[in-house]
Order: sequence, then structure tokens, then C-alpha cells
Amino acid sequence: MAATVTGVVFDIRELTVHDGPGIRTTVFLKGCPLRCAWCHNPEGISTAPQILRGASAERLAGQRYTSTGLAMILNRQGPLLRGESGVSFSGGEPLMQAAFVADTIDQLKDLHVTLDTSGYAREEDFRLVAGKCDLVLFDLKLINAEAHRRWTGADNEPILNNLAVLTELGTPFIIRVPLVPGVTDTDENLRAIASCVSALSVRPRVELLPYNAAAGGKYAACGLDWRPPYDENAALNTNLKPFQELKVEASLI
Amino acid sequence: MKTPVIEAPATRTVCFTDLSPRLAQMKRRIRAGEHHQSRVSETIDVQGECDKDHLSWPQRAARLTRRMCEAQTVIIQPDERIVFTRTVRKVPALYFEAQLRTLIADHTLHELGPISNICANWGMVLSQGLVTRKETALATRQRLGSDPEAVEFLNCAIETIDAVLALARRYAEAARQMGRDDIAGVLERVPAQPAETFHEALQALRLCHAVLWLSGHYHCGFGRFDQYMWPYLKADLDAGRLDFAAAEELLAEFFISLHKDSDLYPGIQQGDNGQSLMLGGVRRDGRPGVNPLTAMVLRVSRKVVLIDPKINLRVDRHTDQQLLELATELTRIGLGFPQYANDEIVIPSLVAAGYDVEDARDYSVAACWEFIIPGQGMEVINIGAVSFPAATDAAIRAGLAAGDSFERIMKRVGDNLQSQVNALAEANRKLMLPPAPYYSVLMNGCLERGRDVSLGLKYNNFGIHGAASANAADALAAVRTFVFDEKRVAPERLLCALETNFANDESLRKELHELAPKVGNHDDYADVLLVKLFDMFADACDAAGGNGRGGRYRAGSGSAMYHVWLARGHAGMREPVVGATADGRKAGEFFSSSLAPSPDVTVRGPLSVLQSFAKIHYRRISNGGPLTMELSESLFRGHDVIHKLTLFIRAFVDSGCQQLQLNTLNVNTLRAAQRHPELHRNLVVRVWGWSAYFCELDENFQNQILGRHVHGE
Repeated sequence: MAATVTGVVFDIRELTVHDGPGIRTTVFLKGCPLRCAWCHNPEGISTAPQILRGASAERLAGQRYTSTGLAMILNRQGPLLRGESGVSFSGGEPLMQAAFVADTIDQLKDLHVTLDTSGYAREEDFRLVAGKCDLVLFDLKLINAEAHRRWTGADNEPILNNLAVLTELGTPFIIRVPLVPGVTDTDENLRAIASCVSALSVRPRVELLPYNAAAGGKYAACGLDWRPPYDENAALNTNLKPFQELKVEASLI
Repeated sequence: MKTPVIEAPATRTVCFTDLSPRLAQMKRRIRAGEHHQSRVSETIDVQGECDKDHLSWPQRAARLTRRMCEAQTVIIQPDERIVFTRTVRKVPALYFEAQLRTLIADHTLHELGPISNICANWGMVLSQGLVTRKETALATRQRLGSDPEAVEFLNCAIETIDAVLALARRYAEAARQMGRDDIAGVLERVPAQPAETFHEALQALRLCHAVLWLSGHYHCGFGRFDQYMWPYLKADLDAGRLDFAAAEELLAEFFISLHKDSDLYPGIQQGDNGQSLMLGGVRRDGRPGVNPLTAMVLRVSRKVVLIDPKINLRVDRHTDQQLLELATELTRIGLGFPQYANDEIVIPSLVAAGYDVEDARDYSVAACWEFIIPGQGMEVINIGAVSFPAATDAAIRAGLAAGDSFERIMKRVGDNLQSQVNALAEANRKLMLPPAPYYSVLMNGCLERGRDVSLGLKYNNFGIHGAASANAADALAAVRTFVFDEKRVAPERLLCALETNFANDESLRKELHELAPKVGNHDDYADVLLVKLFDMFADACDAAGGNGRGGRYRAGSGSAMYHVWLARGHAGMREPVVGATADGRKAGEFFSSSLAPSPDVTVRGPLSVLQSFAKIHYRRISNGGPLTMELSESLFRGHDVIHKLTLFIRAFVDSGCQQLQLNTLNVNTLRAAQRHPELHRNLVVRVWGWSAYFCELDENFQNQILGRHVHGE
């Protein structure tokens, strides 16, 4: 029964302009299987609700919704999210709550749906949700398996597998690469990503997201220390050549 | 009133050409006030002369215009093509204080006295020329020769026309002597004759507009600039006299010229001078009115980057995408305009208020947001404000003390609103509008009928602001939830907390503030109370009947400065200061400005805000008042964002809201947010591929963002 499917959401933000085409309402789902060293949404890591205490305000991050309740909230905004605009599911990792997300999407009326995912999920979960979406924003962080384990705490094998699944699903997608100085922005990694993308049976666009030194802004609010194990202030390598050489469309956003 | 952000953040710009070196230099000079050295501080004495000659009030007003025109020293800078610089600092009084008191007897004056906040029919003035206006006055004088009042008025009007013509002549002669035949040629023709070129129209407008200010009028707007100016530009383009680049250069100079004297204009604060103009929208016959000048004004304003003219843009679901993108570029640089008006909502509301449909389609705005019809209205769009918080708070306190039901409290709110409207009506029953012979020249029908504009025009309504509606609705929602629905708070406890400013009951304040439903979340529970407040306000205006000047009372949703004054008090304000309120707001804290969620509440976001405020029955709220939103400048970073923000404007149109004011936050606002986080809780800043609530970031990161804004990346 649809109403019994529930999930934990840490924010629903309106007028987001970087989570898909047009203007969007983005649902941030709580909980993530990865532990990226540069994670900028630390409140999205744990599945449990928590109170964020900022310098001058506090807010409860993490509220349980039924899929029906969430879909109702999103559908109510439908009249203002026409055409290319729509809703996005981000996180955390939305696929950690795949059944909830899928059930919510099933109840949306004529809304363009974007999934913003790390790709780290069970294949069946990935198929379930990505198959229902109009667009997937798929993160590729590190191609080297060892480096991936070191910097995100998890294997990238499920990610690469799901990337292949995505090409087969036929859902349009964009590859997103967070550029972290000295970690993901190395020529070697960029070449590996370019080559990985160029080997796909379809040719998606690649968007590179330059690192911003304010990434650790919310750690204090979560009661955590922000001690990035890399030099935040190092110059960022934004070399697009590896992509151009392999005729992969790539841009900095 | 709008509070324009004067310092625009440094932003990378693409595809906009810079000002020409000539205009960049002119702008720098005017911003630095170099032309102030030609100003004289002495006030010319008009009053003595008027007393000596026993002049009537209309005659004095005409004499003032004449003497002020005569007293101006001709200033023509070598690089100027559009001239006039005011050199007389002060507009002298017409009467001594005591004389004036006797004269107005038991009447009252509005604000500073002289007619303000209406809009001339500039299209008529430019297309007829002042000589034709004078001929009209002469013909009417002939016809109404037996009516001494009419004759006196027409003589006064003619005196002001002659004064403007003489001023133009002095400028033309000086220009000729300086070898500036270009300027001389223009001023030998206009404003006397109908303008034939874009240059002539701009020069005539500059001069005729400046003389309004010389005559003591203020908040003088430009109306539907693209509509009445386009024929001149089109004629030039068709004849090959101008190309677009040359036209933009002229227009930019005109915009810069509006800053020469604006520091001398009266207003609530620097920049509040009412030099507003309206763009776009439909024509009087309902056909689309957007023309190439519409976009040119936006482009030129983007290039000039100054706070005047303040641009308003009429939009509907068919508004051109490129036009919205140009408009959004202006929002991006933090000028606080354009302000958008939704034709689909505004026109029907004006028709419902009794305006002919052709006139309703011709609407513009007064200084801030109040809808008026250029040339056709002698409306006083701001006789005061209804204080929603006062009406609500008094009802809540009295109702709780009396053991009222919630319905009974709402009834009290309605009664209080009615009393406020009645009191405003009563206070303005004997409003005296001083004669304004020069303004009359610029309005429809005054010269034709031999009647001064101050005696009334086709539309003579009074507008009343509706201040701080969101706080009031939130207070009602809190009472309904806590005291009535959930019964978790006893009336006595709430009363006591309100009376003591929550001094001993912070926990209740927090609950009221954080747990009660709030306007701005598309939550009917709170929104219906907002809607109800405006319905009752409109009912009260209807019930107040006629205003004694052939008009009625128009309800509005703006707050002007009342969101501050009602909280902190203001000299001369009739409304009482409101203490602690049941929405968990402590005494002294500001209220919501115009239409906006209460300052310190967390709401879902901009779309929900649109949806909450779209519920108001705007058909009955015809005085205007913008939904006001702040966007972070950082929202504009990244590719394609201009396009995305235009989609938000379209969402505004689709939502059915009436008017929208978008502010882009710059570093000053972020600093203010650090000092007063409670007022900026919804401030979102973009950091990397994500956004955050600014107040949740720790101070170091806040400073980092501040630093970034200072340096514009």
C-alpha cells in the first residue's frame, strides 16, 4: 500500500537551479553509503534525524514522510514547475531509500523528474528508480578502485556497473565530476573518466564542478570537525583536454 | 517604498557593452557631485512678491514655477547632448506657516503639501508641444470668459507654460553662443513644438519633468515610457537618422541626467524619489504593447547601472523570453528592479475598481507600486496604512480577555479594520490639494475644461496601504492553533506573555514562533487568515463609501515604511506602535515588508511563498503592493541561470500573484544577516554545487562567502 512507504528527508528546497533543467524543487534524502572526504552535506550521511546548530540558527534535519505525503507536496507545486522544470531527488544518496523514492515518483503528476545520484546502489534499486526518471545526474568521482576506496570509503565497482545499466535503460543522463584539488582533479583521473565515458554506448555530457573552499561549512552545525585530508587551497586542475581528446563534451559549471 | 541597493556587487558581465567614454565620464562626474558647485544655496523669495501683489494660491503656484525657471543658471557641459541642470537648491515656500494655517483652516494637507505621486500624460505633452497646450488654454479661456475661476486657472497655466518656454529659449540661446548648434536646434523646437525625433522627445521630457520638481511637486514618474517614446525612435530609425547604437547612447545620457538633481528631491531615503517608469504590457486596445524600445530601456539600464529610472515591467504568460532575460540581468546586478506587474491580475482588479477597461490597460505605477493611469488620475495613492498587526493584536487581546470564540475574535479584527479605514477616511475627508497649474498642463482635460488638476480628474480614488499582513495572519494562526484547536495554551497565559513581552515565558514565545502555522508555506491553515484579512480590509474600504472627491478607497498590500514604523514608532504616524504579538514576535522587532512572510520565520521556499500569496483576492486589492523576495546574488552563479530565473518570473505569472519585487542580495545584506540573523533566516547562499541557509553556516564560512561577494569571485 503506497501510504505505508516512508522515507527520511533532510530538506525540500525550492527554486534550486543546479539540480537539473529549469527551476526545480529538490528533495534531499537522508542517508549515504559513501564517506567522501569532501562531503559538503554532512547532515545527509546518517539516516537518523539530527539537529543542525549553526552560528545563528538551528534546524531539525531529517523528517519522515510517507511517499503519498511527499508526492502531495510536490504535486501541489506542479502548476509552477511546468515544461523543463520539475522535481529532483538528491541527498545523501536517494537510492538508499529507493522504494520510497520510486513510490513517490509513481504518484507524481506530469512532473519532470531528475535523480541526482552517486551511482552507489544495488543494481535492482538503481534500475527501479532510474527507469522512472526523465534525467539522471550521475556522479563519477574516481576511476581508480583503490583511490575510490581511500577517498569515499567504498568500492566503485557498483557505480561503474550502474553506469552501464544506465546506458541500457535509455534514461538521458549527465555525468558530474566534483573537482577536489589533488584528489579527483588529477590529469590521470580526468583521463580515466573521459575514457570511461567515451567507452559507453551513448555519449553523455560531462559537467565538472569546481571545488569551493566553503564545502565544510555545515560540519560545525552537525557537531563535527572539518579537517579535510587534502589541501583545500591548492590550485584546481580544470584541464578539459582529456575530454576533448576523446570527443567527450565537457564543461565547468 | 522600495529600498534600492545602491552599491551593485562586482559581477562578471558578458554580452553587455560598456558605456562610451563620454558617458562614463559624465556618470562619474555626476556621481561625484561635481556639478553641485554651480548650485546656489540662497532661496529665491517668491512669497514676498506674492504677498505684495496679493496673489491667490493658484497665482502663487504659477509664479513659483516662473521664478524657479527664471532663477536657473544655464549649464551646458561640453560633452552634454541632453541638457538641464538644476542650480537652485531649494523650492521656496508660497506662504508663511501662519498664513498657510489660516488658508487651509480645518483642512489637511497630504504629506509635504504639493501634489505628488501622480503621473503626467507625457505622451500627450510630447506629441502636442507646449505651444499647442497654450493654444488650448487660450481657446478655453475664450470659451469660459465669464467664469473667473477658470480664467484665473488658465492664466496661471499659461504663465507656467511661458516660463518653461522661456527657460528652453535661454538654454537654446546659450547653446547657440557656445557654438552648440545641435543643442540649440533641439531646444528651439521643443518643448514648444511637437517632438519629431527621439533626441527632441528626450530633451523635452527632461526639461518638462525637471520643472515639475522646480514647482515643488515630488515623486514624479515617467509612466509608460516605451509606449510614448517609441514613435519618435521609430521615426528616426525609419528615416535613417539614428541607428540602435546612437539611440542607446542618447537614452543612456537621459538616464544619467536623471541623477543630476535627484539628491535635491524629497523622499524617505536617498533613492526614494519616484523616478519610476513602466515598460511593456498591452496597449489601450488590448494589443501587445512591447516594442523595440522596451528591450532597449532594459539594455541601457544594465549598461548605466544607476538606480534611476526605477524600472517596472508588465508581464503576462505571453511575455517574450528575451525580454525576461534582459530584465533578469538587471535583477542579477542587485539594483532591486525591475519590479514586475502581472497584467492578468492587475487589469481585472482595476476594472473591478471601476476603471474603464481601456484605462485599466494603460496602467503604470506611482513612485513605488501603486497602480495609476497616466494623465487620468488625481488619486492620492497613500493616504495612510491599515495596520494589520494593530487590528489583529487588539482583537486577540480583547477577545482572549473576554473569553471569545475564534470567530468572535475575527469579527473584532474586521471591526478594528473598519475603524482604521473610517479613521483614515475621516482624517482625509478634508484633504486639501493645493492648486497645481503646471501639473495641470500635463494632465488630460484640465486645460480643456478650465479646471486645475487639484480639483479632480477622471479618477479620484484614495489608496490605503495594507501593512504587515503576514505577521497579523501568523498571529491569528497561532492563536487559533494553540488556544482554540489544540487548547495547549490557556488564554490567560498568552495574554500575560503578550503584556510582558514574553519576559517570563520564552518557551511559549518559541513555540508560537516555531510550531504555529505560518504564511508562506502554501499551508491553507495560515493562508486563509491572510486572505480573510484582505477580504475584510476590502470590505471596510467598500463600506467607507465615497471619499468626497468623486472617488472611493482602494485597498493595497504594500507597507511603505510601516513595517518598521509600526514596530518602532515614527514621528507623526497616527497608528499605534504594536508591542509583542501572538506570532511569537517580541516588541520592537520589524514586521513583514509589503507582501512577504514574517521576517524571522522559516518557510519552504520561493514557490510556496508565491502559492501562499496567490490566494489573496487581488481583484479587490487594486492599490498594489509587491510580493517581495530576496535572492542571493550567488544564485546567479553558473551557466544558464538567467534563463532559469526567467522561469521563476513565469512561475510568478502562473501563480496569479499581482506584483513582484526581487532583490538580489549583495555583501551589505549578508553583513546585515550576520548582525540580525533573525531577519534573514531564509537567506540562501550558493556554495559549490549546493546552497545553504546563510545563518546556519558558522561564522568563518559566512565570512568566506562575504569575502567572495566582495571580490565578485
